[in-house]
Amino acid sequence: MPAQRPRSYPVDLGLLTVLAVLALAAVFGSTYLRPYDSPELDPRAALLPIYLLRSLARMTLAYAVAVLLALATGHLAAASPVARRVILPTLDVLQSVPILGFFPAAVTVFVGVFGPSALGVEAAAVFLIFTSMFWNLAFGVYGSLITLPEELSLAATHLGLRGSLRWSRLVLPAVFPNLVYNSILSWANGWYFLIASEIIAAGPARYTLPGLGSYLSQALVTGQTDQTVMALATLLVATLALHLLVWGPLELWAERFSLGETGERPRTPRIGRVLSRSRAVRWVSRELVIPAGQAALRTGGWLMALPGRAGRPLGLAAVCLLFALAVYGVTRGYALFAARPLSAEAREIPAGLFLSFLRVAAGVLLAVVVSIPLAYAAARLGTHGRGIVLTVLQVLGSFPATAFFPLIALGMTRYGVDMDVGAVFMILTGTFLYVMFNALSGAVSIPEEMNEAATVLGLRGIAYLRRVFVPAILPRLVTGCVTAWGGAWNAIILSEYVIAGGKLYTVRGIGAILDHATYVSGDGQVVALSLAAMVTLIVIINRVFWEPLYRGVAERYKMEA
Amino acid sequence: MTQAPPALLRMEKVEYFFGGRIRVLGPVDLEVREGEFLSLVGPSGCGKSTLLRIAAGLLRPTAGSVWLGDKPLRGVNRRAAVVFQSFALFPWMTVVDNVAVGLEARGLGARERLKRAEKYIDLVGLSGYERAYPRELSRGMKQLVGVARALALEPELLCLDEPFSALDVLSARNIRDLVLDVWASPEVTTKTILLVTHSIEEAVEMSDRVLVFQANPGRVAETVDLSGLTRPRRADRPGVRETIDRMYGLLV
Repeated sequence: MPAQRPRSYPVDLGLLTVLAVLALAAVFGSTYLRPYDSPELDPRAALLPIYLLRSLARMTLAYAVAVLLALATGHLAAASPVARRVILPTLDVLQSVPILGFFPAAVTVFVGVFGPSALGVEAAAVFLIFTSMFWNLAFGVYGSLITLPEELSLAATHLGLRGSLRWSRLVLPAVFPNLVYNSILSWANGWYFLIASEIIAAGPARYTLPGLGSYLSQALVTGQTDQTVMALATLLVATLALHLLVWGPLELWAERFSLGETGERPRTPRIGRVLSRSRAVRWVSRELVIPAGQAALRTGGWLMALPGRAGRPLGLAAVCLLFALAVYGVTRGYALFAARPLSAEAREIPAGLFLSFLRVAAGVLLAVVVSIPLAYAAARLGTHGRGIVLTVLQVLGSFPATAFFPLIALGMTRYGVDMDVGAVFMILTGTFLYVMFNALSGAVSIPEEMNEAATVLGLRGIAYLRRVFVPAILPRLVTGCVTAWGGAWNAIILSEYVIAGGKLYTVRGIGAILDHATYVSGDGQVVALSLAAMVTLIVIINRVFWEPLYRGVAERYKMEA
Repeated sequence: MTQAPPALLRMEKVEYFFGGRIRVLGPVDLEVREGEFLSLVGPSGCGKSTLLRIAAGLLRPTAGSVWLGDKPLRGVNRRAAVVFQSFALFPWMTVVDNVAVGLEARGLGARERLKRAEKYIDLVGLSGYERAYPRELSRGMKQLVGVARALALEPELLCLDEPFSALDVLSARNIRDLVLDVWASPEVTTKTILLVTHSIEEAVEMSDRVLVFQANPGRVAETVDLSGLTRPRRADRPGVRETIDRMYGLLV
């Protein structure tokens, strides 16, 4: 047995103090908040910690739901070939769909279910954050389960690991590293969409939920520089603290679950070592967390086994539900389109879609052009430098860039730059990080021997980039482009129609058409048609361009001899 | 002539189709007798590993039946334990947890699990490494953990699926000797062993009986009884070299 770590009262005391301060802040601070349906937030910067706590609570809730659902769907897709054929295409389409475009519809549903109460609007906000976090988590779980070595899962079966024991000893450890990696992306994505999620427009009504995203947005729109700076500082502190206290330690902890054959003894993160000295933490984990976890795993295992037992009725129910949805969709569609002629706005859709497509393509292409040299430079920094670059990127990725769109629009027009350029620049905020992350992870994974070989062969500068670096990172680069392509369509919706300083900055494009129809004219026909057109285009291009490209590149440039 | 010992496991006309269409195996009839060391030898792709997995209840045969004594085998064979070619250790568990996890699945209490796991870790000569993680061990040591994990289940049948082919020559030698020692040791209850290998030398050195397999589809071409050869069987012992050569003739 490892030596018992010394227990320490200071750790207990510190922990309890932090918790008490948080609780007090949450309770007393909340009395200062204005109700959810007031037109604007209390702008006092002293309330920022409360706004931050509110936002974090929403994100945590959304994240918890996203992880649980991702585990369930990812595992189901990996375990059952029948379920896989339904789940994967659905996830694929939903992931590549610009969720922002569906926000108004989702909000209507939630507010319809719960009524326009605080609960309904909060639920809508949590759901919206959830949609920005879920897809890559589900794909991550599925991916790591199907790439699990066959003999390992056979061994688990053979040893009799079933139900909760199989989850705790095989499934969760196997998906953990990927889950952590994708959680960081998901969490950053959650920040990115926070503003769109905390300002809820349900038809004519507009709700501003108290939170960091809505505060920042309000500060920017009203042009309060001091408030903006305070909000940004709060955001920066929050993302850095989360990195130091949560994601960094989790990444370190996840190393022990990697499937590598050789390596160092797994390390325990420092914060874990400190916390394990606290009596309170030990008591809570022994008496509450472990029993609750086991109960959850048992229930999970039982639920997972259900499709096997009740597969037929469940499948039938799913088919019935899909059929009902299809019938509903067709009747609604008929009412929207066939019952009246196409409006002039709807006729604009093809041209708008084309222009937006050009902007998205430019946004992705620019991201690639910028990322390659940056990744090259970062890869030469050495381990420590790369770690810093990665952290900076993760923090940057957490910035709700959409909040700055009004600022960008104002700045661009002030210096006489066309709004078309401004829109592409805004899209770049949604594409660059995905491409850069992937390019960098590709660059880091170039084997040292390959670089040495390049040096010996005299490949330097451009020749090295062309012959070694770019081919080596190409599979990852394409992965990044695919994700960025999805992100760009989301950014389109916000970047083509910007209200800044009470003035509207807009360009021709599908995003502008959609926004105008949603917020100004309330034309359901145009909303539905432009969403359908956008989704169709995205799915078609995924099928005929990205997927073949990825397969070809992965086949030709994979890192195996 | 003495009566052959009763069959621990019997397969009748077992067939296996990959993806439901491509015939990998069979039909095969086979008997694993109580207390014997039986080897399946054959070229790669002859379905011998598939057969082992069917015996362990990890794969269901497409056709035919598998009997444990006089009962048909359903689901995982709880009277068998498997040692895998790639070790199949859980990288996130220490050595002792890897050995004990199967006992946990069988409902043993924590203290009992630890005691039994330590006994078998000691038996394979890894005491002192209980708290190590697999990635800190050499391949030979990893496979020793694999053997300890299988033996800890105290199975009647030990299934070895190419257990030495991912190892260097010396480690393979060590573990082969260990398995033979364990098989002969009165301390260990496991007395029946099924070995799948592509090495004729290995099969001749270790087994009482060898089934020589042919590929496309996998089937038993020849059964060779080696119970007449004295142990230990090194290549310089009388009869061993000849047997090996004769079996090469059968395979080629």
